[in-house]
Amino acid sequence: MRIRITSIMVDDQDKALTFYTGVLGFIKKKEIPMGEHKWLTVVSKEEQDGVELLLEPMGFEPARVYQKALFDAGIPLTAFHVNDIQKEYERLVEAGVKFSMKPTKMGPATIAVFDDTCGNNIQIVEV
Amino acid sequence: MEMITLKDIPVNPASLTFYHQQVLRIKKRVFPHDDLCDRIARAKQFMDNFYSGPIDLDSMAEEACFSKFHFIRLFKKNYGRTPYQYLTEVRMAAAKELLQSGMPVSEVCASVGFDSVSSFTGLFKKITGTTPFVFQKKKRSGQKRQF
Repeated sequence: MRIRITSIMVDDQDKALTFYTGVLGFIKKKEIPMGEHKWLTVVSKEEQDGVELLLEPMGFEPARVYQKALFDAGIPLTAFHVNDIQKEYERLVEAGVKFSMKPTKMGPATIAVFDDTCGNNIQIVEV
Repeated sequence: MEMITLKDIPVNPASLTFYHQQVLRIKKRVFPHDDLCDRIARAKQFMDNFYSGPIDLDSMAEEACFSKFHFIRLFKKNYGRTPYQYLTEVRMAAAKELLQSGMPVSEVCASVGFDSVSSFTGLFKKITGTTPFVFQKKKRSGQKRQF
């Protein structure tokens, strides 16, 4: 059994694609029309054969309640690894990204949390 | 167990999210000494940068001003594995990349800090379940199929 894909719920797939590719720097891997929505995945530029991130449409209303509760508490839905968190933080702030937690040391790791504009908090981690 | 309250957090908690407050609480309880973490992190960075050369754990511990056993214990507490296990992990990851690039096994062995091909091959097989030769052959044939 292998992990090839993971997903995050987004309120608008097109807006999410713009943010995850244009701002974060991921690359679109698959875009398959599926009626009202699409199967839309992105991958890291450095690991294009790595795990795909599915930008999943918010098709189940109760999920919206869960997403909002996490967001309001500042809890990240998922985390991405970075090599230099300070550099990445400055780059993203420059691009207009809003952080609810600036780079903060946590033992051997440094973490920061930002708003992905699609209803989620995302954590970046440098270890 | 010592109770930590919001007043222990050295910033205005009203401006923080629930998650941020929890992070600071856990940090204070689990990682109270930033200076120790920094010294251990520097040792890790040293391995990240100089894994291709001979790395002596005794001198690394001394450089970080720890006894060898204290160094190993703190490293494991911070990173979940011993310095030797971490160094092996870094070397094997680098070896895999070099093997995929087509570099001969003997050169890969020397490039990731091993003196002998047999000890490199043995450790590689123990960790990945296959020898460097077979690993390289499989990856290279897979790459060709993609084109």
